[in-house]
Amino acid sequence: MEHSFASPSGHPQPHQRHFNPYSENGGTILAIAGANFSVIAGDTRQSEGYSIQTRYAPKVFRLTDKAVLATNGFAADGNMFVKKVRQRLEWYRHAHSKDMPIRAIARLIQTMLYARRFFPYYVYNILGGIEEDGSGAVYSFDPVGSYEREACRAAGAAQSLVQPFLDNQIYFKNQTPAHGTSHPAHLPLDHVLELVIDSFTSATERHIEVGDGLEIYVVLAKGSTPQVLDRWQGVTEMTTTQDGERMFVIRRNLKRD
Amino acid sequence: MDRIDYQQLRSGEVNLGTSIMAVQFKDGVVIGADSRTTTGSYIANRVTDKLTHIHDRVYCCRSGSAADTQAVADIVHYNLQIFSQTNGSPPPVHTAASLFQNICYANKDALSAGIIVAGWDKEVGPSVYNIPLGGGLFRQPWAIGGSGSTYVYGYCDATYQEGWGRDETVNFVKNTLALAMSRDGSSGGVIRMCVITEAGVERLFVPGNELPKFWQGTEVLSLPKEKAATLEPQVVPMAVE
Amino acid sequence: MTSVFSPPGFNFSNQSRNDFIAEKGIPMPKATSTGTTIVGCLFADGIVLGADTRATEGDIVADKNCEKIHYITESIRCCGAGTAADTEFTTALISSNMELHALSTGRKPRVVTAMTMLKQMLFRHHGNIGAALVLGGVDATGPHLFTVAPHGSTDKLPYVTMGSGSLAAMAVFESSWKPNMSRDDALQLVKDAISAGIFNDLGSGSNVDACIITASHTEMLRNVEMPNQRVEKERQYRFARGTTAWKSEEIRKLVVSEEVILLAGGDEMDTT
Repeated sequence: MEHSFASPSGHPQPHQRHFNPYSENGGTILAIAGANFSVIAGDTRQSEGYSIQTRYAPKVFRLTDKAVLATNGFAADGNMFVKKVRQRLEWYRHAHSKDMPIRAIARLIQTMLYARRFFPYYVYNILGGIEEDGSGAVYSFDPVGSYEREACRAAGAAQSLVQPFLDNQIYFKNQTPAHGTSHPAHLPLDHVLELVIDSFTSATERHIEVGDGLEIYVVLAKGSTPQVLDRWQGVTEMTTTQDGERMFVIRRNLKRD
Repeated sequence: MDRIDYQQLRSGEVNLGTSIMAVQFKDGVVIGADSRTTTGSYIANRVTDKLTHIHDRVYCCRSGSAADTQAVADIVHYNLQIFSQTNGSPPPVHTAASLFQNICYANKDALSAGIIVAGWDKEVGPSVYNIPLGGGLFRQPWAIGGSGSTYVYGYCDATYQEGWGRDETVNFVKNTLALAMSRDGSSGGVIRMCVITEAGVERLFVPGNELPKFWQGTEVLSLPKEKAATLEPQVVPMAVE
Repeated sequence: MTSVFSPPGFNFSNQSRNDFIAEKGIPMPKATSTGTTIVGCLFADGIVLGADTRATEGDIVADKNCEKIHYITESIRCCGAGTAADTEFTTALISSNMELHALSTGRKPRVVTAMTMLKQMLFRHHGNIGAALVLGGVDATGPHLFTVAPHGSTDKLPYVTMGSGSLAAMAVFESSWKPNMSRDDALQLVKDAISAGIFNDLGSGSNVDACIITASHTEMLRNVEMPNQRVEKERQYRFARGTTAWKSEEIRKLVVSEEVILLAGGDEMDTT
């Protein structure tokens, strides 16, 4: 005996299903440029929906001795993009016997992103490092290659929590200076590191996709002294060349809930 | 029997993607069900009791939405309590089945409930009623239902015979449900059965590791016969379920 | 003329306006949800209920330390997952009706009574009340533990979990639950189950709440475990006086002074 239950129209409706190659893996990145240094940081949680895929997936990558790239969005695209940027930088090294300057890396990233204008890398990039003139630099990108040089930028899941804090503390937005004084154009390194750590511990408190670990890359311009880093724990030096820019990474734990 | 219209099941709804069955025999009826309740792919309850008490000698097997079938069963249970108080005698199985039918038919757009009503009464003895999705009412010597039932119609047609006693009927129900549970992903767990006779209701339980076994699928195909013979018999039999 | 009579139940007077707004592409506001881990567990002398304390609005934490174990009666409690407002109002309403029921029958109310009230209310609203509940308690017939799903279906089991962290918590129960556990073992198991949700499910977090119900008394253990305390901040964020810009200044006296003039002689009232 067959008892069927028909759909409202009387016959089964065809369904349009389409494959979605993208996903969103949470996390947050941020970078701040100083007068002669640059700080690039990201948390290490990778998630999908309500599940944690891993508590340690780096989002910040060393490109050269003076350039660091942070990626956020779809992790698979991010990793692939970093791989391709590194390949192009190696070709450059073979052709010119030197590392590509950071402003050239920024332009390279723009063309690489825009090349995929209609099937984009689902990634927000922040590039940090030292310019040829020795100043700290931060470049931020949208997924299809629009970019600009800034003093600070947050991106990712907790961008809306962190960027207003940075605007207030780095750009001194909504703060009137005391009479007869003015706000500094650049902050010292230890001050910046404190702001970075507080940004991430606060984002961890209020955003469910931020947490587990924090990786802070510090790039110091040629000739600057790394003494300020002495008070910080968990500092590892990553410099590969003598008397050039120096690079450090600071690793910290964040809450795991 | 009927398949559940999954389009119609609202998302996140708890569902009895079920194998249920009832068979009448000389002295009574045997009803049985698997024990799986699912929400999507998650098993919300692995030891569910889908054999629901309606009156002293009337039970029902529920399939479809857990919320809908529980609500309908509660309403019928309430009405039959009033019935037996006002009439001073237990209700016939047909009365219970008709109440189920009335609710299922009147609210056919809002309910996803496939119910089998079975029991014993002094007017006609044992009887089994099937109330599929649209709210029809059919008396049958045996009935199967839920998503798992589609796999075992052939088995039931080939196996069922009139004039069985209690033990043969219990075995038939147990074997049918084990076969349905092994093929249907939304059915599984344990088998619960009830034997309803004039004398009373006897509950039977078959744990998941003691289900009847049929073809196990242990053959290693696509190997030459000679080579297969030299292999150690290390293939672990696949669990039936 | 507009009636001042308001009928019982939900008010749908904004329905058509909101449908129109939704049609124009403006999404409905997000309700606070308790993307939650809640559990219940039977042991030798009663029931242990457990819950995490995170409430979320999308992917933002709305409340870091909310209470999800609700009062029904002295010996019946209910954990709520899903839409926060729905769990709070349904449990409050059923708690109220249980009190009235106890008053009119003169008996201590039973857990099945609360369960039946909850499932009938949720079924009537076709799942529109987004409350997923774990109901537990001890009554004259012994300890009972139920889950109630938003569409009104119920399950009675010796250990249950609900919410987005239910799978993580159930994994703990399925591996370690045993019949007739001691009070301490059961509490530890509930803590472990909630912790599994807190650390592995992004919808759950912060602290562990527990509630132990036995025939003689009920013990509410608020924040029994606090594994997620915030670390000290690196900087102080205090702003110097004058940081906020202002355009004009107006100073008003808030204390009103009054003078009493006695008209017909006599003394002023003694207010000492």
